[in-house]
Amino acid sequence: MNMRAHFVTAALFALSGTLSAQWFDYPTKGIPRLPDGKANLNAPAPKTPDGKPDLSGVWLGDQWSPAGRRPNPPGEGRGGGGRGGGGRGGGAPEMLPWAQRVFDERRATSLRDDPEARCMPQGVPKASTLPYPFEIVNASNKTLILFEMYSLRRQIFTDGRELPKDAKDYAQPSWMGYSIGKWDGDEFVVTTAGINDQVWNIDLAGHPHSDALRITERYHRVDFGHMDVNVTIDDPKTYASQWTMPVMRYTLLPDTDLFEFVCEKNIDPQHMVGK
Amino acid sequence: MKYFLIFVVAAAPLLAHHSFAAEFDNKKPVELKGTLVELEWVNPHAWIHMEVTDPSGKVTKWDCELGSPNLLMRNGWRRDSLKKGDVIIVSGSQAKDGSNLANARTVSFADGKRVFNAGSSGDPGTPGALTQ
Repeated sequence: MNMRAHFVTAALFALSGTLSAQWFDYPTKGIPRLPDGKANLNAPAPKTPDGKPDLSGVWLGDQWSPAGRRPNPPGEGRGGGGRGGGGRGGGAPEMLPWAQRVFDERRATSLRDDPEARCMPQGVPKASTLPYPFEIVNASNKTLILFEMYSLRRQIFTDGRELPKDAKDYAQPSWMGYSIGKWDGDEFVVTTAGINDQVWNIDLAGHPHSDALRITERYHRVDFGHMDVNVTIDDPKTYASQWTMPVMRYTLLPDTDLFEFVCEKNIDPQHMVGK
Repeated sequence: MKYFLIFVVAAAPLLAHHSFAAEFDNKKPVELKGTLVELEWVNPHAWIHMEVTDPSGKVTKWDCELGSPNLLMRNGWRRDSLKKGDVIIVSGSQAKDGSNLANARTVSFADGKRVFNAGSSGDPGTPGALTQ
């Protein structure tokens, strides 16, 4: 059989029985499945060829999934009642006076002025706390995180480079910041800085930041279908001390792919009175 | 079966994009029965544009906010789930500014047998709501 015949056969096979399957329901290849065909989310975490845990997949925060949030093990997180964004039901940081004033004003106006409502990017780590999935992709010398909402992406460099130390060393502060990743045992440790001053809130609660913000995320794929991320915020110009957000918990979404989301027609802001 | 097609309501009504409480008032619940003018399938929110006729015959236009097309599709909606002229019932919350604008929680047909989760929530206490 020549290449063309192979291609035609493959195409016919792909079409059979899945004519309606696109984006949202096309079966994911090569994942562990139960006898009934459903993905086995409790199978062991996969490994990459170099033996590290493979974080790749489409993930959604547990609080947004039908199954709900997995409970925190005793002693883990701060109360665990947060929305994956910190500051609600646990994980509330002690803010410097300017930050507390800003935070209080935001809460009093129901986060009306969040630029996300005007279709601007969410920043880090807020982009990972939304009711839209993101996909982790392994690439050479970097790991990519693709976000469905607003079609944003982060690049996490794994080629050994270090982060510049001071805010003034970042030639181009950006919405998603500049990130490097290193392995610590089974945890992928991502450090991010260089976040611009247009990022308004680092979480859904509305916490502010300064140019001194440094975020450390520790990604741990617990098993095939579950991943935990611990996030520490270090921003001495905004917070009295380093603080840790409630553990973010994610469940793998099998048999779906990210779809384009361009924020193209937004009529909400004209109605957002806030109070 | 076809008359009992319940679109699964994920326990995750969804509102990211903007804070619910900045725009809508959960103390102003509305239930609108009317005729679909258009299901506008667009990001960041799909919209139901409808006409509601009161007992005196006066016709009022309403705009009802749904979730994004991505969320709606994962909840079982398709862009042709509603058609122009369909009689529908939308329950949700009205905008704080008093305009004929609502955040839809559920959308059902007049027979009450087909219910769509609107993919956008205003309920305090639900994961999607930012009401504090």
